[in-house]
Amino acid sequence: MKSLSLKNLAKTYFDAYKGEHVTAIRDVSLEVPAGEFVSIVGPSGCGKSTILNMVAGFIPHSGGEILVGGTPVKGPGPDRGVVFQSFALFPWKTVLDNVGFGPKMRGVPKAERDAIAREYLALAGLSHAADRYPNELSGGMQQRVGVVRALANEPDVLLMDEPFASVDAQTRMTLQDELSRIWEERRPTVVFITHDVPEAVFLANRVVVLSKGKVLAEVEVPISRPRVWDRLVADDEFKDLSNQVLALVRSA
Amino acid sequence: MNALLPLWSFVVRTSVKWPILQTLAPFVPVVALWWAVAAWGPFPPAFFPSPADVVAKFVSLMEKGILPEYLGDSVARLAIGAAVGIGLGVPLGLWIGLNKSAHRALWPVLLFFQAIGDIAWLPILIIWFGFGLTTMTFVIVYTVLFPVILNTVLGVRSVRIELHRAAQSLGASPARIVGEVVVPGALPNIMTGLRNGLGYGWRALIAAEMIVGTSGIGFLMFDARRAGSVTEIVLGMIVLGILWYIVDAWILAPIEQATGRRWGLVTQ
Repeated sequence: MKSLSLKNLAKTYFDAYKGEHVTAIRDVSLEVPAGEFVSIVGPSGCGKSTILNMVAGFIPHSGGEILVGGTPVKGPGPDRGVVFQSFALFPWKTVLDNVGFGPKMRGVPKAERDAIAREYLALAGLSHAADRYPNELSGGMQQRVGVVRALANEPDVLLMDEPFASVDAQTRMTLQDELSRIWEERRPTVVFITHDVPEAVFLANRVVVLSKGKVLAEVEVPISRPRVWDRLVADDEFKDLSNQVLALVRSA
Repeated sequence: MNALLPLWSFVVRTSVKWPILQTLAPFVPVVALWWAVAAWGPFPPAFFPSPADVVAKFVSLMEKGILPEYLGDSVARLAIGAAVGIGLGVPLGLWIGLNKSAHRALWPVLLFFQAIGDIAWLPILIIWFGFGLTTMTFVIVYTVLFPVILNTVLGVRSVRIELHRAAQSLGASPARIVGEVVVPGALPNIMTGLRNGLGYGWRALIAAEMIVGTSGIGFLMFDARRAGSVTEIVLGMIVLGILWYIVDAWILAPIEQATGRRWGLVTQ
């Protein structure tokens, strides 16, 4: 696990149809130490997904620096695992082969990468689904596979782009419980994008509120772990922090 | 009504046991009607042969070895068309689908040449290559190639960007992405292209054989016209239909079944 550091990150692009320059990210600086879980929240259009896409290397940044463990980011790479809102599982691969995809690209032999994949599937309680295809699974199960696939490649930083936005409310809480448990076991460095304030507070060590392409505020979440919804749903500290972040987002 | 239920149950059970019956059953009324019209006799047999005449002609042409030879020639030409269509069309489609500038430059040209369908090339081909195999091969390859290219391009471009990104962030190189993501993602479209291409190609081939051929099913039918043998023409038509059914049901459909449907990319 490594640290992630954004220094004066900016993104402007030229809208050829409108004939004008558009500023998506004005000036964002953010330090995520190794092993920390940071949530980024903000209203639609605040640029939170743009930041994630730049950190992942999917789109170039037009100013500032992105450093993973001190090394500048140039394009996508296996040091940054990504979990997508749309799951982005390979429909033609079984669950086992989806999870083993990263090791396969590293040249890990079949038997060994199957063992790795099975270990990570067990972590998320997915062992029974190893030989099924993604379209045979529910949305919640598919996203469990998406998280496990990113983890199995042992990235330095895990980037999650509204990963639970497209599953139902019940499943979402279960997935949040599970992600919290997995994070406590493995302590990966995580950047978690969401517009769901309670979700951001529940999962993170620190919540970053974004507004109009700039950091509006950073809120520490000192709530003790392990965190589970059964406990936090009625926890006053959790409610206060959530309300505080919510007020910031609404003022944004 | 209840008396019919055991009969219905028998039909369902039998057709599950022998799926070939499901294929043949719809032809029973067609052949029955044909036979009835032939037997009723408003037309002379030389003008409107009965199914029995056609079967007899089939047996005699099989015994003489003419039908197996001509059928072999046509199928070999179709196989060449399929081989070139896959070998050339799929790589070209992948390239055009992945390369934005190639797509911009070539797409309108592809659409233009696709529109000059198959036998519209025959007049100029006959001047260039004469009556014979080269001309026929050109027609079938040309006809198979374009649907395969165009559908492969569509397939490549229909692969969601998230899948490219997921593969990249899991460490896949551009070359591995083609093999692991682009080809399987485009496969249902490639199969559609191949199925359409071979379907058009098969018809174009028969037409080309009629006009420039010296062998093949198309030639057999056109030659029969010269001899005034309606029976042989009808036999040729039936052979065409059966052969295509075999190609579709025994080769193309199982591949689609094994790929796109299992993955949820094609709905049942």
